[in-house]
Amino acid sequence: MTGILTASDVGKSYGNGVARMAIIEGLNLSIAKGEFVSLVGPSGCGKTTLLMCLSGLLAPNVGMVGFKGQTVTAPPIGLSVVFQDYSRSLLPWKTNLDNVLFGMRRVTGMDAPQKKARALEILEAVGLTGFAGHYPWQVSGGMQQRVAIARGIASQSELLLLDEPLAAVDAQTRADMQDLLLDLAKRFDQTCVLVTHDVEEAVYMADRVLVLGPRPTRVVREIVVDLPKPRDQISTREAPAFLRARHEVMELIRSMRQGKALS
Amino acid sequence: MTIGLLAEKFRVPICIALVLGGWQIIFALGVVNEKYFPSILTIASAFWQMLTDGVVISAWATTFLRALIGLIGAALLGVALAILSDLSPVLSRGIRYVSDVLQPIPPAAFVPMAVFMLGLGTKLYAFVIILVTVWPPYLNGVAALAGVGQVQLNTGRMFGLTDWGLLWRVKLPAALPEIFTGIRYAATLSLIAVIVSEMLAGRDGIGFMIFKKAFAMRTPEVFGLMFLVAINGVLLNGLVNLLRRGLTGWHIRMMERPE
Repeated sequence: MTGILTASDVGKSYGNGVARMAIIEGLNLSIAKGEFVSLVGPSGCGKTTLLMCLSGLLAPNVGMVGFKGQTVTAPPIGLSVVFQDYSRSLLPWKTNLDNVLFGMRRVTGMDAPQKKARALEILEAVGLTGFAGHYPWQVSGGMQQRVAIARGIASQSELLLLDEPLAAVDAQTRADMQDLLLDLAKRFDQTCVLVTHDVEEAVYMADRVLVLGPRPTRVVREIVVDLPKPRDQISTREAPAFLRARHEVMELIRSMRQGKALS
Repeated sequence: MTIGLLAEKFRVPICIALVLGGWQIIFALGVVNEKYFPSILTIASAFWQMLTDGVVISAWATTFLRALIGLIGAALLGVALAILSDLSPVLSRGIRYVSDVLQPIPPAAFVPMAVFMLGLGTKLYAFVIILVTVWPPYLNGVAALAGVGQVQLNTGRMFGLTDWGLLWRVKLPAALPEIFTGIRYAATLSLIAVIVSEMLAGRDGIGFMIFKKAFAMRTPEVFGLMFLVAINGVLLNGLVNLLRRGLTGWHIRMMERPE
């Protein structure tokens, strides 16, 4: 398999013997450069564990994760995770600007003033002009998550792993953030893998939706979302292709929750 | 200006006036024998006399410096022990046992043993102060380091921090506010340990002077010296707060922000 991010036959379990609990088993996927892929699955299927394995923060028991052709053993340069819990992911003793600069620790080929200029530029791109000197706890939840996204992009990232990044923000902010993420992905050439439990969001954002099976999880279906970009919050969500994809994903997840056999 | 605003503005002098006034009323009522409960004026004049002869000033400085140096040493040692405990579960259990045994022993009980082992002098003070004062920074440090969130640690690792980098750049900054709670408590303990050691085994310092004056039944002087001890406490707390504001000002402002 080729692609910027690959997983071959990945398995992850906790415990041993009778207490062994398999979370992931025989999982394969490949993400092409520039793609926006959503991962959805029934609740508790191990989405977050999978994302930890893909990011190198957790080592799989079997199989291999590859990033840009290299086996992932620790979080590699060029890959960053945006966590759901932004308020715990941002460092509260650092200002928003310093949080973004913290993400640029491993960035090479820039001196300190250049890094600062770049950080301010990205903060401006996420709509936080004038909030660089604020602390994360002085701004709203949506703004905090934008700082975290800016920090991810600033780390010279090529691949963003988004772990339910919008689950904790309110509904209106959420729609704006979805469009912002799509815009940022294009503007900063980011390949994105979005883990979400929101099927509509998964379809709206993605070029491709990968549906995960129940635990121990693996990819059970791939659905290509045949919709033009840029997406539009009103017309995209009414397009027949959107509704078809949404129908397929929802039906699949419902059948899994009812414990039906999978093809 | 309303009465409330005036009270708010002059709260410090008002409190002092209330305490002094209350004292004078108890004195005037004659509930306690005058010999043991002198009037404010008697205490003030005895205190002034001690100040002018200079002995008390040097005793005051000596006691304050002992408490301060002891506190610094105990805080550094306590945090170092907490870091060791965080790095190794085996060490953590070992230090915990030692702390469980030593912590309940009051400062006064350490002094006779310290006199046999170390004689009278600096070593004795260092020994007693550290054994009494080291525990709050250590215990708070252990709890604070263990309480650093997994998301914060994952964030640090994602941006390439090694274990040492995580300790210095994520764990310690995150733990510092809680560590300072321990250090503030330790400041009080340090002062207690110094005064007790000076009383039981000292040749100088405020504690020694209090003991001497008390045996001579010089009650006004004893009260004056106690006032100096209180000032020492306020000064020591002030220094700790200054450092706390400097190092963890973000946390204080975060806690004080309006919702």
